[in-house]
Amino acid sequence: MDCYTANWNPLGDSAFYRKYELYSMDWDLKEELRDCLVAAAPYGGPIALLRNPWRKEKATSIRPVLEIYSASGLPLASLLWKSGPVVSLGWSAEEELLCVQEDGVVLVYGLHGDFRRHFSMGNEVLQNRVLDARIFHTEFGSGLAILTGAHRFTLSANVGDLKLRRMPEVPGLQSAPSCWTTLCQDRVAHILLAVGPDLYLLDHAACSAVTLPGLAPGVSSFLQMAVSFTYRHLALFTDTGYIWMGTSSLKEKLCEFNCNIRAPPKQMVWCSRPRSKERAVVVAWERRLMVVGDAPESIQFVLDEDSYLVPELDGVRIFSRSTHEFLHEVPVASEEIFKIASMAPGALLLEAQKEYEKESQKADEYLREIQELGQLTQAVQQCIEAAGHEHRPDMQKSLLRAASFGKCFLDKFPPDSFVRMCQDLRVLNAIRDYHIGIPLTYSQYKQLTIQVLLDRLVLRRLYPLAIQICEYLRLPEVQGVSRILAHWACYKVQQKDVSDEDVARAINQKLGDTPGVSYSDIAARAYGCGRTELAIKLLEYEPRSGEQVPLLLKMKRSKLALSKAIESGDTDLVFTVLLHLKNELNRGDFFMTLRNQPMALSLYRQFCKHQELETLKDLYNQDDNHQELGSFHIRASYAAEERIEGRVAALQTAADAFYKAKNEFAAKATEDQMRLLRLQRRLEDELGGHFVDLSLHDTVTTLILGGHSKRAEQLARDFRIPDKRLWWLKLTALADLEDWEELEKFSKSKKSPIGYLPFVEICMKQHNKYEAKKYASRVGPEQKVKALLLVGDVAQAADVAIEHRNEAELSLVLSHCTGATDGATADKIQRARAQAQKK
Amino acid sequence: MAAHLSYGRVNLNVLREAVRRELREFLDKCAGSKAIVWDEYLTGPFGLIAQYSLLKEHEVEKMFTLKGSRLPAADVKNIIFFVRPRLELMDIIAENVLSEDRRGPTRDFHILFVPRRSLLCEQRLKDLGVLGSFIHREEYSLDLIPFDGDLLSMESEGAFKECYLESDQTSLYHAAKGLMTLQALYGTIPQIFGKGECARQVANMMIRMKREFTGSQNSIFPVFDNLLLLDRNVDLLTPLATQLTYEGLIDEIYGIQNSYVKLPPEKFAPKKQGDGGKDLPTEAKKLQLNSAEELYAEIRDKNFNAVGSVLSKRAKVISAAFEERHNAKTVGEIKQFVSQLPHMQAARGSLANHTSIAELIKDVTTSEDFFDKLTVEQEFMSGVDTDKTYGYEHILTLYNLEKAGLLKPQTGGRNNYPTIRKTLRLWMDDVNEQNPTDISYVYSGYAPLSVRLAQLLSRPGWRSIEEVLRILPGPHFEERQPLPTGLQKKRQPGENRVTLIFFLGGVTFAEIAALRFLSQLEDGGTEYVIATTKLMNGSSWIESLMEKPF
Repeated sequence: MDCYTANWNPLGDSAFYRKYELYSMDWDLKEELRDCLVAAAPYGGPIALLRNPWRKEKATSIRPVLEIYSASGLPLASLLWKSGPVVSLGWSAEEELLCVQEDGVVLVYGLHGDFRRHFSMGNEVLQNRVLDARIFHTEFGSGLAILTGAHRFTLSANVGDLKLRRMPEVPGLQSAPSCWTTLCQDRVAHILLAVGPDLYLLDHAACSAVTLPGLAPGVSSFLQMAVSFTYRHLALFTDTGYIWMGTSSLKEKLCEFNCNIRAPPKQMVWCSRPRSKERAVVVAWERRLMVVGDAPESIQFVLDEDSYLVPELDGVRIFSRSTHEFLHEVPVASEEIFKIASMAPGALLLEAQKEYEKESQKADEYLREIQELGQLTQAVQQCIEAAGHEHRPDMQKSLLRAASFGKCFLDKFPPDSFVRMCQDLRVLNAIRDYHIGIPLTYSQYKQLTIQVLLDRLVLRRLYPLAIQICEYLRLPEVQGVSRILAHWACYKVQQKDVSDEDVARAINQKLGDTPGVSYSDIAARAYGCGRTELAIKLLEYEPRSGEQVPLLLKMKRSKLALSKAIESGDTDLVFTVLLHLKNELNRGDFFMTLRNQPMALSLYRQFCKHQELETLKDLYNQDDNHQELGSFHIRASYAAEERIEGRVAALQTAADAFYKAKNEFAAKATEDQMRLLRLQRRLEDELGGHFVDLSLHDTVTTLILGGHSKRAEQLARDFRIPDKRLWWLKLTALADLEDWEELEKFSKSKKSPIGYLPFVEICMKQHNKYEAKKYASRVGPEQKVKALLLVGDVAQAADVAIEHRNEAELSLVLSHCTGATDGATADKIQRARAQAQKK
Repeated sequence: MAAHLSYGRVNLNVLREAVRRELREFLDKCAGSKAIVWDEYLTGPFGLIAQYSLLKEHEVEKMFTLKGSRLPAADVKNIIFFVRPRLELMDIIAENVLSEDRRGPTRDFHILFVPRRSLLCEQRLKDLGVLGSFIHREEYSLDLIPFDGDLLSMESEGAFKECYLESDQTSLYHAAKGLMTLQALYGTIPQIFGKGECARQVANMMIRMKREFTGSQNSIFPVFDNLLLLDRNVDLLTPLATQLTYEGLIDEIYGIQNSYVKLPPEKFAPKKQGDGGKDLPTEAKKLQLNSAEELYAEIRDKNFNAVGSVLSKRAKVISAAFEERHNAKTVGEIKQFVSQLPHMQAARGSLANHTSIAELIKDVTTSEDFFDKLTVEQEFMSGVDTDKTYGYEHILTLYNLEKAGLLKPQTGGRNNYPTIRKTLRLWMDDVNEQNPTDISYVYSGYAPLSVRLAQLLSRPGWRSIEEVLRILPGPHFEERQPLPTGLQKKRQPGENRVTLIFFLGGVTFAEIAALRFLSQLEDGGTEYVIATTKLMNGSSWIESLMEKPF
């Protein structure tokens, strides 16, 4: 294993740094890196190159080419740059390429060179031109800071939600700062800039001069600054070849180093690992690379070629024309296991496993040694962890094998960590592959999360790999496979050379009814690409009408939207489409559309009933719905009209409509009502009081109550109230008046068509037994018993019942015999019954 | 508090808890103190879900009724409108919000649509220029509200009118949504039966909605075996008959609203000695009626003529129990007696209440008017000509009734009623009101058609009555919802099936009583859980169809 640590370089006493190759690059670069603007996205992202317009040595007549490569150097895109001169390139967190032009316009491209959008950094920038620009990443997204020709800064904390902020002026600033950077503190972006020996911090309110604690004397200028990946640390390189390293709050110095090289470095970046105590920066000159930290000595590498540094979460990537390397601090677990002569439990376990494979008894000795110290669990964990940090699959395997071997000697070692590491490494190895070219480390992968990684694979249109990973990790379909398929479909609809039918079919074949796939999203994308027909075809597969309908409306397929809404049964959706259609179509067309959709028509009628009465009338007219028109005019006669004439006129219209509807009953009733209304009006004029809108019966009753019997009878004749009913009305009214005299006269006016029992009943209801008795005698024989009982004459009732020999009547009387008084009567009845039975 | 919901075969408390959770989650979204502005119609149904205490726990400090112009002053951070999605209510809300804005400190406005968000309403708010004022606009899917251990209602007053008169399916859509919620909580219902046009539509919507949720495979073991969807217009006759069960009569006479009844207070005056009856309570006595009350659970579904004997038997038991105290000799016995006291006192209170109610009802049922009304009902059923007149203002109502199929102009067509009555045995001459043997006891002779259909479906099946089903309006159908093999039920011998029966357009208490009677039959084979768009009776139903032009 001796050779394994060959690439380990100690920095001070406690840390090792190692550099290993990720890829050998065979990109066919037309330009030297030094002649290009270079931007490499973090987390193993893509690399963009554009010939730097400021380097005038070469002929400028040829338009530069913007090239995008994967981290492994595979070409992703190449396009002729036709816009203005570019000052700076940078990648957003979503892996979109931002090209900052000299005039402050920022052009945004996708990974495949597809133009997305553009935005401007404002007028001030346009006027003063862009001198320098930086893209930076914070938790809110990707920000952009611009230094203008007027030495002023303009900043946007999130280019996705562009809000420009012009930073305050630095007093007395005459020339461009020698170096500057963005800091991010307390969720706010600041700018730190160096002018000669002075440092200034700009926040959105003020510019303040700052000093570095413990800065060595003699500095007359700062040449480079670097802020760490997490914004926690800051390093400055001075013209004296001195490097100050401290916290980005500028409150504390961590360490310093004097490298005695006064030439300005080409690049300086931090190289540290999360949760590590070690701090180091990597400084690059033309042919020299130096790692410096809190140690008297530095680590030095020779650069054979022009190289470019990319800071990462846990190290630095270095790429050149021919190679792509990763430089990082050796993680603790790896150090423990592989350090020369290490006796750490993990190291022993690895040895034990190797001996075991050699079938040597030494395996047992090593194992015993670990077990005696009670460190086997720790040993297994160390091996698992170290495997995660290995780039080479053979090393990963050997460490995992050791862990697996150690596990056999442990009871109840929870298997998750081992299983998960195996899975993670399998995913990592797959994406690190040259063809994919995403060289994520284990820590970066964990920080990025699997979801984002999948998004990035989707961005690279690596759908099959993404799906394989989802399936391998058994991610829930909605977050995993479905999402990928949906993205694939969205990409598919952009393939303009394939016919609508084929695209729709291909998409449906792949997606089927996969849960969580939104066909409407895909359709929206198709519509966005101008493929309306395809969008409609895709929407056919969408089961949720709530999603279908709005898009159909947007695509101006309102009639289709209407039938979809109706299919869903969601009336709210139907209403929405209806109101849309109403605005879109002329009235005639709108009504015609409704006519073919009875359900929509009835809903719209309801709407009109409450909101637009006149429209309702038009609808009925259109349909020749005379019955409803009649009802409509009745409502109008009551609601809208005050004057009797107006009401009668409305009723006349209603009656005409009813005749057309062949509803004789309603027509006649309406005509009667018109007559009644006119008459009631006349009564009010002549007699005073309130008559209008009373029913016919109530009118008669009111007349009687008012003492206008003659008028009442006239009215009854006019409206052909049957005699029986008139008698009832009169009887009730007179009893209400307690006009017993008039009642008696009335009863004698002619033979009562309703008999006399009602007279008895109504008198009793008014508790007038005296009057009731008068009528009881006139009640016909078949109701006589009931009448006598009503007035309380049980004895006579019994006599009549006996005379009638009617069993039912006898029982009725008997049931009324109460107490002692009726005892005799009861006996009488019983006797009569007995006699009847004898016969 | 809602323990009675869990007594039944299906624990409906699960549903109640689910909707309560949803409510709490919404309230917590609006951080800080709140005032709720209520669409008045919602307060009743909400009372069955959450008491004021729950709202208070979530910082609801004030409650107002939604009405025009300004909101009453309230020192709260959030103002939440709880409303049904209706345009006229949106106009009022807009008025509230606009007049609020002119006054000092800004508050956060939110809208909770019950039971569904509406694009139409949001468009109206937008047109009125206030849509942007609302931070949260959400929906609260309170479709089916648990009323009792076996009873769910949407309490949608206008459902029947909308469905059958105005061809507006909104409430059917809500019903289908409600059924989807039920299935999410109680498992997919494997078999759906139905009769009627609306039933068909609800079933179609359910099948469609199921397709929309293909993603989330329901893995709950199904609690319901069948769903029976019944259109009210398949049986328009039953609600018109006077209900003769105890609960039915209370509803007929006093009207039960959201399980509460208001009664004339005189009979409930506290009996105090030396009280000359001077200060009789004037406010109506309000009682909650549900099966949480033991005595009520026992008598609610009995024919009223059988209630008296139960009450007197119960009176004897209770006084005997109170007499026990004289026999309590040892300290232990006394302690045991005392521990039972609260229960006994509650029982005594309950008995007193129901005795009073029974007296009130008796006064009505023994009156001439009541007798006459029953006679007329019977005459109607037997086809005797009666002479009725109406004022002209009822002409629109008459047309509505005709459209709904309740009235028919006399034409020479064939009368199918005798066939139906005979096949379905709708008239039973030998009714035993005390110990019923058939559902006809609920109307003292008439067996409700709707319940008979349910009974025949469970045994021997509808195939036996194909002919009658064809005479009744609307299609009848059967749908199956396939279940994954793991969720298929293996019924134990003797285990009853559970049928959810959904009355689209309303159900009466007498019909519910009849279904409960079927559930309790030992060899019935089926237990019923009842759902409906509205609990109703003949008068409230006809009232919902009335239209007076002034």
